[in-house]
Amino acid sequence: MDYARMKFYCDEHRCIECDGCSVACAEAHELPVGISRRKVVTINEGIEGKEFSTSIACMHCTDAPCEQVCPVDCFYIREDGIVLHDKDKCIGCGYCLYACPFGAPQFPRDGAFGAKGAMDKCTMCAGGPLETNSKHERELYGQNRIAEGKVPVCAAMCSTKALLVGDAESIANIYRTRVSARGHGTVGVPYGWDKAYTK
Amino acid sequence: MANTWGYGAMTNSMNDIQNSKAIIIFGANPAVNHPVGFQHLLKAKERNNAQLIVIDPRFTKTAAKADYYAQIRPGTDIPFMYGMLNIIFKNGWEDKEFIDARVYGMEDIRAEAAKWTPEVVADVTGVSVEKLIQITTVYAKNRPGTLIWAMGLTQHTIGTSNTRMAPILQLALGNMGKAGGGTNILRGHDNVQGATDMGCLSDSLPGYYGLAEGSWKYFAKSWGVDFEYLEKQFKDKSWMSKNGFTLARWWAGVEGVKNDEAIDNAGTHLKALVVLGNGITSIAQQAKVKEALDHLDLIVLADPFVNEAAVLTDKKDNVFLLPAATQFETSGLVVATNRSAQWRYKVVEPLYESKPDQEIMFELAKRLGFYDLYVKGMMMEETKDGKLQMIPGKTTFIWPEDACNEIARIVKTIGLTGWTAERVKKHTDNWHMFDELTLEGTGPMKGEYYGLPWPCWTKTHSGSPNLYDTSKPVSMGGMGFRNNFGLEKDGVNLLAEKSVTVIGSKIQGGHAEITKDNIEKVLGITLSEEEKAMMGANWKVDNSNLIVQKCMEAGIAPYGNAKARAIVWNFPDKIPMHREPLHSPRPDLATKYPAYADKANHFRVMTKYISVQSAKDYSKEFPVNLVTGRLVNLNGAGVENRASKYLTALTPEMFISFNPDLGASLGVKNGDMVWVHSPEGTKIKVKAKYSHSVAPNMAFMPFHFAGHFQGEDRTANFPAGTKPYANGESANTVTNYGYDIITQIPETKGGLCRIEKA
Amino acid sequence: MKKIVYFFIATLALASVAYAAESQIWGEMRIPNILGYGQEQSLKLGEFFTLWQGHYITTIFLGILILIPTVFGIHYLIIGPKTFSHEGKKILAFSLYSRIVHQIAAISFIVIVPTGFIMVFGSFFGGGEFVRICKDLHGVFTIPFAIVVIPMFLMWVKDMFIHLDDIKWLIIVGGYLSKVKNPVPAGRFNAGQKTWYWLATLGGIVMIATGATMFFMDFDIAMVKNITGLSQIDTLRAAAILHNLVGFAVVILFFVHIYMAVFAIKGAVQSIITGYMEEEEVKILHSSWYRKLKKQGKV
Repeated sequence: MDYARMKFYCDEHRCIECDGCSVACAEAHELPVGISRRKVVTINEGIEGKEFSTSIACMHCTDAPCEQVCPVDCFYIREDGIVLHDKDKCIGCGYCLYACPFGAPQFPRDGAFGAKGAMDKCTMCAGGPLETNSKHERELYGQNRIAEGKVPVCAAMCSTKALLVGDAESIANIYRTRVSARGHGTVGVPYGWDKAYTK
Repeated sequence: MANTWGYGAMTNSMNDIQNSKAIIIFGANPAVNHPVGFQHLLKAKERNNAQLIVIDPRFTKTAAKADYYAQIRPGTDIPFMYGMLNIIFKNGWEDKEFIDARVYGMEDIRAEAAKWTPEVVADVTGVSVEKLIQITTVYAKNRPGTLIWAMGLTQHTIGTSNTRMAPILQLALGNMGKAGGGTNILRGHDNVQGATDMGCLSDSLPGYYGLAEGSWKYFAKSWGVDFEYLEKQFKDKSWMSKNGFTLARWWAGVEGVKNDEAIDNAGTHLKALVVLGNGITSIAQQAKVKEALDHLDLIVLADPFVNEAAVLTDKKDNVFLLPAATQFETSGLVVATNRSAQWRYKVVEPLYESKPDQEIMFELAKRLGFYDLYVKGMMMEETKDGKLQMIPGKTTFIWPEDACNEIARIVKTIGLTGWTAERVKKHTDNWHMFDELTLEGTGPMKGEYYGLPWPCWTKTHSGSPNLYDTSKPVSMGGMGFRNNFGLEKDGVNLLAEKSVTVIGSKIQGGHAEITKDNIEKVLGITLSEEEKAMMGANWKVDNSNLIVQKCMEAGIAPYGNAKARAIVWNFPDKIPMHREPLHSPRPDLATKYPAYADKANHFRVMTKYISVQSAKDYSKEFPVNLVTGRLVNLNGAGVENRASKYLTALTPEMFISFNPDLGASLGVKNGDMVWVHSPEGTKIKVKAKYSHSVAPNMAFMPFHFAGHFQGEDRTANFPAGTKPYANGESANTVTNYGYDIITQIPETKGGLCRIEKA
Repeated sequence: MKKIVYFFIATLALASVAYAAESQIWGEMRIPNILGYGQEQSLKLGEFFTLWQGHYITTIFLGILILIPTVFGIHYLIIGPKTFSHEGKKILAFSLYSRIVHQIAAISFIVIVPTGFIMVFGSFFGGGEFVRICKDLHGVFTIPFAIVVIPMFLMWVKDMFIHLDDIKWLIIVGGYLSKVKNPVPAGRFNAGQKTWYWLATLGGIVMIATGATMFFMDFDIAMVKNITGLSQIDTLRAAAILHNLVGFAVVILFFVHIYMAVFAIKGAVQSIITGYMEEEEVKILHSSWYRKLKKQGKV
C-alpha cells in the first residue's frame, strides 16, 4: 500500500498566537502541566513589521535526527512518515532533544533528584507502539486520533487554519495557493520544512 | 450607531470582511478576542490583498498582522478620524453622491474636520503627520473598506461620540450598505448580541422598545398581562419610564457606601443584588463595588463557578451561591455578532445540583407568586384578527422552543418575526449548505442567509446579511437607512433622496416608516375594514404583522428609507467632539478640549465629568497612561478559564506589562513585583512584565484576575475545592473614575496610574 | 571530608528542587534554540552532534571495547605478564588515606564505565528498565567519584609533574614490549600512570561537569552563557560531545589501568589494597624512585 507522507505546516502569516493548538493538545492528551508537546512561539514580540508567531512541535522529519541519535533505538517511523517512539524503551537520556532542530522532545521530571523520565513528544495524534486505542496507549501517548480517521487535534482546533497537517502534496498545494493569492512574497519552502523535510 | 442610522449593531458580518479591500480597526484586537473570526480578516488579505490598518495604543497581535499601524494615545480616536476626514475632504475623496443622497448634516462635519489639520491631530493623538496621511490615503483609495471597533472605542467618557464618529467616516467614504464595507462592531462574548437584543439594560424593554408607556402597553398585551398590574409593581407610574441603575454604577445606590454623588432612587437604596453569570471584576472601581457588596442585605450569585463577588466581600451572612448550568447543559437560541441566530443543542444534562438559568428564574417567580404570568406569553398566539389568545389546548410550554417563538411573535423592531425555533434549528442543522462568503444557502436552504440575520421580517424572509444595502430587494435583505428621527429637521429633508431606491421597491426614493395612518398613502393601497381592524398602530406594535406583510408585497422595508444623520440634535454634542479623558496625561489639552458638565441623575446617580477633570493635574502624580484589555486564554472575569490548568499555565499570574524603557526609568526589572497606584487612592500589587508592544509612557493590564484585593489575598474565602488555579489582583481596582455621557460605560481604556517597585 | 559530603548532598537537593520546575528549554529559550539550529553563524553543534552520535560514537566505543582487550590478549600471549618476587621486602607505596580515596574512585569507575557502555549500546540491551537503571547507577556512582576526585588530585599531584624519565619511559613503552626485566626509568609514578592520573582527575572533572549538565539540563544559563557564549541547547550538545570524546580516552586508559594492575603485572593490584609494593617491582618498574628511596635510606 502506498502511504502519503504526513507533514505539519504552520503559516506564520496566519498564526496569531492564540495557543488554541497547544491547549487543545494538552487537553486531548491530558498532559502534565509543564509538558508542551506543541508550543506557540512569537519572535520579535512588539516590534513593528517583524513580529510573527508560529506553532512548533515535532515536525516528524524525514531521516529524523532523534531517531539517528537514540542510544536505545526507541524511535520508529511509520510508513506515512509519522515519527513515534516507545516510552517503555526510552531511558530519558535527552539525546533526541539535543539532535532536534525544533526542541520537540520533552522530559517530565519524575525521578529522584529530578531525574528525567521517559521522553514525551507530539505523536501527530497517532499514539504509540501499544495496542491501538487501548487504555495503556492512551495513558502513555494520549489519543490515537489518526487511527480513528481524525485530524490531529491541534490542526483541527487551529482558529485561523494556520496550522495544517496532512499529506505533503496537499499541504504544499495549500501553501502555494495562499502565497500566490497574497500576491507578494516568494513561493519558497514553508517555514521549518528546510530543516525537517529536505533530506 | 442607532442614533446615526437606526440600528446599533454590526452592519455586515465577519464573513463579509473577506470582501473588503481595506480594513481599519480602532480599539479592537480580534486576533486575541475573536481568534476564530480573525481568519476572515486574514483571508481578506489573501483574497483581495486587503490593506489591514490598526489604530491602537498597543502593538497588539492584530497589529502584528497589519500592513499599517498607528500607535495612538488612548481616547483620541475622534481627532484621528477628523484628521482622516480633513485629508479626505481636502482631496475630494469623499463619496459626494452617497453623502448627498443618504446623509444628513455632513456639512457640519466638514466644518469641524477643517479644524483638525494633520499637525493638530499629530499633537493630540501622538500619530505623525506622515502616518496619518499614509493611512488615510490607503483607506480612501481601497474601497470598499470596513471599519471595525470594539471596547477600545466605547469604554471612554466620549464612547458614544466615538461610536458616532466611526459611522460618519464610513458615510463620508460611501462605505455603507455594501459588501466589504460597513461598520463591523465585534461583540466580545458569546451571545452578547442576543443579550442586548433582549434588553438586558436598565433603559429599555426587550427589542430596543424603550420605556415609554406605549411600549409597556404593547408588551403587557403581548404577554397577556394587565398593564395596570405592571404599573402597580412600580412605586408610582412615573418610575416605569425612568432608567434604572447600570452595572457600572449600581454600587452608588447602596446605603453606607461612601459617596458624595446624589442618587435619585425613589428615596430608597438598593438592598439586594442578584447576579446571573456576570463577572463583576470587569467593572471599574472595584473598591466601591466591594464596599457596596459589604453593605447589601442580600447577595445571590448564580454562576457555574464561584462568582468572585463572594470572595471580594467581607459579608458573611446572606450570601448565596446558586450552581447555574453551563451552556453545554442547556439549549436555546443564541445570536452571533452579525445578528444571526444559531441553535445551541444541549450536550449533557446539568451536572449535580446545577440548574439552567431559566429554572432558577422560574423558581424565583413561583416563590414570588407570579409564575403563571411569567410564563403565560409562551402559550399565546396571534389570532387572524390581530388579537391574542391562549393557544387552544396548550397547558404547558416547551422550553426553549416556546420562548423563542414568543420572542419572534413580539419583537418587531429589529425584525425577529422570522426567528421561529423551527427555522433556526433548520439553519444550524444545515450549516454546511451555506456559502462561507455570502452566507447564502444552497439546495433546500436556497434563498435564505445563514442564521437569518435580523431584520428577518417574516416567517419566510431570507434574513439581512448586510444592513442598509439598497442593491438587494427587501425580500433578500435589502433596505435603506431607518426613518427614526422624523421626516425633516429645520426644513431639511431627512428621507433618502430619489436616487436611493431599494431594488424592487414600489416606491421611488425615500419614504417614512409605515404606520397604520400612513400605510395607504405611502404604499398607494387601500385597506379593507377587516385589515384596518386587525392592524396595530405602527409596524413595531402590530401583532398582526400585516403592516410588514404589505411592505414586503411593495418591496419596501417597514421602517422607511431615510438618511443617516451626522448630527444628533438630542445629544450633548450634536456632532462628535473631542473631549480629553477625565484623567488625561495632557492637562494642556484637557483645558482646550474639556470634559462634559457634570450630569445629575445619570441612570439615577450624579455622574461627574468636568469637576473630576479640572480638580487637579493628575499627570504629575500619575504619569503612566493605563489601558486594560484581554488575553487570548482568558475571558471576562476569567473565573471559568482560571479553573482550567492548561489555560492558566499560559498566564499563571496577574501582571502589568510595560516597555523595558519605562522599566529602566522606574528601576523595575522584568518579573519584579510592583504596586500600581490609581488616582482613586487604590492600589494593586502585580508582577511586572516587559513588553515592547506597549509604548514607553504606557502600561497594559489584563482584567481577568480576581481573588486578591489591594495586596490582600482573599482566596481563603473560596469554598473548599473551588479556588481557581490562578488568582490575582483585579485591574479594575485601579481603573479610573469616568463614565460615558450616554451609556455610562466606564472609562477603562485610558486612565492614569503610578508604578512603584514593591 | 564530612563537610564535602554534606555540601554535595545539599547542592543536589537544592538542584533537584530547582530543576523540578519547568525547564526553560521549552519556554523562552526554545525560540533562540530553534533559530540557531544549522545557521551559518552558529557552531552547528546540533548537526555535529547528530552526525557523531548517529554514526561514529557507538562504533568507536565498540572499536575500543574490542580492540583494547584484543591488543592486551595478544600482549599477554606473546610477552606475558611480569612477575615479581613476593618473597622480598615490601615497600609502603600508598597510605591508608590514599587507598581509601582510590578505592572509592575505583568502585565508582567499576560501575560508571560498564553502565556507560550499556547506555552506549542501549539498543543491544533493548532499552527499557535495565538500561534506565544503568543510567541511574551511572549518575548515582558519579557522586562518590565527585567527592574524591579533588582529594585524589591533591594527594598525588606533587608526584605527577612531567619528568625526563617519562620521555624515556615512553620511548621504551615502559618496557612492556620486552620480557626482559630491565629497570625502567620512572619515579614514584611512571609516565603511563601520570597520563592516567591527569585524565582521571581533570578528565574526570570534565566528565562530571558535562554529565551533570546533561542531567540537570538547566544550569544557571546566564552564567554558562557568559563563560562559553553558548545557548542552552548548544551547551547541552557540547556537553554530550565532550562527554563522549573524553569518554573514549578515559575508557581506553581505564582498560589499560585494569590490565596493568590485574594481568600485566602479577599481583600489582595488591599494592593498592595493602599499600605495599614488592621491592623488586619498585626496583624494576620505578627505578628512579627506588634509587631515591635508597638514598633516603628507606629501603
